[in-house]
Amino acid sequence: MVTKLDEAELKRLESQVEHGGGGAWEYLTLVRKLKIRRSDKVLKHGLSILNDSKKRSTLADEEWTLYEQVAIAAMDCNSIEIAEDCISVLSKKFPESKRVGRLDAMLLEAKGSFEEAEIAYSSLLEDNQLDQVVHKRRVAMAKAQGDLHKAVGCLSRYLKLYMADNDAWRELAELYISLQMYKQAAFCYEELILAQPSVSLYHLAYADVLYTLGGLENLQTARKYYASTIDLSGGKNTRALYGVCLCTAAINQLAKGRNKEDKESVDLQSLAAAVLEKDYKYRAPSKLPLLTTTLKNLKL
Amino acid sequence: MAEDLVLDTAIRNWVLVPLSVVMVLIGILRYFVSKLMRTFQTPDGKIIKEGQVIIRAKNLRAAANFIPAKSFRARRTYYNNEENGLLHVPKGQAPNQAQMFSDPNMAMDMMKKNLSMIIPQTLTFAFVNFFFSGFVAAKIPFPLTQRFRSMLQNGIDLSTVDVSYVSSRSWYFLNLFGLRGLFSLILGEDNAMDDTQRMMQMGGFGFDPSKSLGAEKDGLDIVQHDWVLPKFEQRAEAVLRKLAK
Repeated sequence: MVTKLDEAELKRLESQVEHGGGGAWEYLTLVRKLKIRRSDKVLKHGLSILNDSKKRSTLADEEWTLYEQVAIAAMDCNSIEIAEDCISVLSKKFPESKRVGRLDAMLLEAKGSFEEAEIAYSSLLEDNQLDQVVHKRRVAMAKAQGDLHKAVGCLSRYLKLYMADNDAWRELAELYISLQMYKQAAFCYEELILAQPSVSLYHLAYADVLYTLGGLENLQTARKYYASTIDLSGGKNTRALYGVCLCTAAINQLAKGRNKEDKESVDLQSLAAAVLEKDYKYRAPSKLPLLTTTLKNLKL
Repeated sequence: MAEDLVLDTAIRNWVLVPLSVVMVLIGILRYFVSKLMRTFQTPDGKIIKEGQVIIRAKNLRAAANFIPAKSFRARRTYYNNEENGLLHVPKGQAPNQAQMFSDPNMAMDMMKKNLSMIIPQTLTFAFVNFFFSGFVAAKIPFPLTQRFRSMLQNGIDLSTVDVSYVSSRSWYFLNLFGLRGLFSLILGEDNAMDDTQRMMQMGGFGFDPSKSLGAEKDGLDIVQHDWVLPKFEQRAEAVLRKLAK
């Protein structure tokens, strides 16, 4: 988790380094610790340290960590040659290391030779079934090749082992949505809501999936989750406001002729519409007519 | 009030200071020896998985009311059913202590841990007892109550000596438990580990994951599902009303 304090520190160091104030190594260490992606900057400042043998020797054992970090950043920036150099230095220092083997496989992947990379990753996995990074790389590779079904397969195999990994659940949900497997996606979002019940975005995504699934029961549930999104986000989420309106309209259409829903929910959608109008008036007055016609079409 | 005892300066030079130095040196030596003997433990997949299952089941128990009843029931069955539920541990399969000991790797690790802890301790204790026993080694500059006698005057059976005098064996114990700060200075923050911590680690052995699985299962069984989302509709209304004004 990146806390506010870390972020402020990171920003401070980043601007300091950018303006030539030194502290590049501290910046790189922080980036590594927080596991954030600043590949261009890591590449630039990391290389400047690596190319300076005096600075490099002050790092002692940390030097190899820096090589690894720069190699990964270089692959991310498509500077394959730099990555190759770093990895060859590392494999000379640590022959037969699994960690360097992982970098080799990533290099193959970065070059686009997916089949060889796949072989390398599989052999790494055979040695160590528990390697999270390799599991995730395989998912990413399947996704890069456009083979979403395989990505789903790999990811669910990973989740069988590491089933408390929220990011993986989110990725799986998004994959399922791209495959239009909404029931499965709903399950993933339920899992995310369980893990972090107060994150309104998960409620929103779950409601979207339920709305897409359709059917009276799902629509009613979806509206409830849109409502919870509104509550958790303090009414700031426009998508949730629209969601309430759309759900109510769809429910009315389905429940036509049958006994009407309780009065309270009618309140909810008219309030949502009112807030939407007010928001548009304030922020985008030129689009207000569009909104009014949309809402009219929904027969609210 | 007994007269003040005068401590010979030779005691300081030959007991108090050497004892402290020996303790520090032994601590450092022990650190390096244990570093040599440390083995890299490959984590066991089954244990990782059980830990993750427990986290997920805990989440389910804590936030059950945030998902629809149907989804909750499906999950509970998934965790708790008697055939292949994730939290269900078949009887007789639970690993017991004997099995753990029969695993040579585990026994070896235990041995190493024990060796690096018990042997130097016994040796230093014997060493201190042999060379430095029976001295009144130091005097602390403030008075203490009788209760501290057993702590500060271990090894001297005189009830008339003032409690602020410290015997040599007690000085050994004070050093044993009190040098952590010094070690963290010498060996670096993360490497200092005092004996109290080691002892705690010892107590952690024999942890049985199936027990926590069972506890989590029982916890899940008694959860009453009460979907909170309907309430959220009213709360959302209140939020919107405020905004619409």
